[in-house]
Amino acid sequence: MAQELESGRIESVSSTIGTQREYETVTILRPETGKIDIAALIERMRTVFDDRSGRFLKIDSWGMRVLAFPVAGCRKGIYLYWRYLGGSDMVAEFERHMRLSDRVIRFYTVRIDDDVDPEGRPSEVTEELLNAVSEPGPDPEVLARQAAEAEAARRKALMEANAALDDDDDDDDDDLDRDRDRGRDREDDD
Amino acid sequence: MDDRDRDRGGGFGDRDRDRGDRDRGDRDRGDRGGRETRRRRFVLPDKDIILDYKNPQLLKNFLTDRGKIVPARISGLSARQQRQLTKAIKRARMLALLPFTSN
Repeated sequence: MAQELESGRIESVSSTIGTQREYETVTILRPETGKIDIAALIERMRTVFDDRSGRFLKIDSWGMRVLAFPVAGCRKGIYLYWRYLGGSDMVAEFERHMRLSDRVIRFYTVRIDDDVDPEGRPSEVTEELLNAVSEPGPDPEVLARQAAEAEAARRKALMEANAALDDDDDDDDDDLDRDRDRGRDREDDD
Repeated sequence: MDDRDRDRGGGFGDRDRDRGDRDRGDRDRGDRGGRETRRRRFVLPDKDIILDYKNPQLLKNFLTDRGKIVPARISGLSARQQRQLTKAIKRARMLALLPFTSN
């Protein structure tokens, strides 16, 4: 305790009894953020976790999404999901860095568990995972536009195929049987 | 009456009010002094499903067209589930996964 006072750090009560709290944070980054910037942010946060004796458990990218309402002038955002162990000081430090970053437009932290034994929760973070989550992901609006264009092209092709089958007369081909019953000769109409 | 007045009208969107009226009309009335029984509007795919803010697609079912949270009386959720639901929706709103309001 005396050591903590000397270092000026305020540790959570649970850190004194050997367990830690588990937190998750969702951050929204500006849509124009590139892979290099995301990787740099993650790398910076990794050192923060190490310095504060927290444990970086997991990170996940939800990709780029259209926001339900504009945030900081952005209509879209890149979502990152972080999970870590630590005390309240860990959250304070994490959020301080989020505020400092000009890439982060919003963050929200939720406590998942109060009493976690750090020994039983190894970190799932690997270099491949970090590489994968650094990708900003495809733009949802571009994807939607491509899907709409593909659908339009498919419909057009279908209509053209139907038009090719059409025999260019005024008769409704669905009524073929009924016309025949009435004794009309379709060949004369052409 | 200008648009602003209409929007203010009691704080309810027209659609919300329509739904409320219709609901009142066909609500079952039991023998206990006209107390209403619950109308199950949404059926959860799984009874034990957790209403979590990270699943906005599920939570969307519990919002009106105006973006308001559907009351338990209409959603048919249990009290505990409804508490989970409101918490989850409010968290999802903070993260711009769900709207606070929509016209």
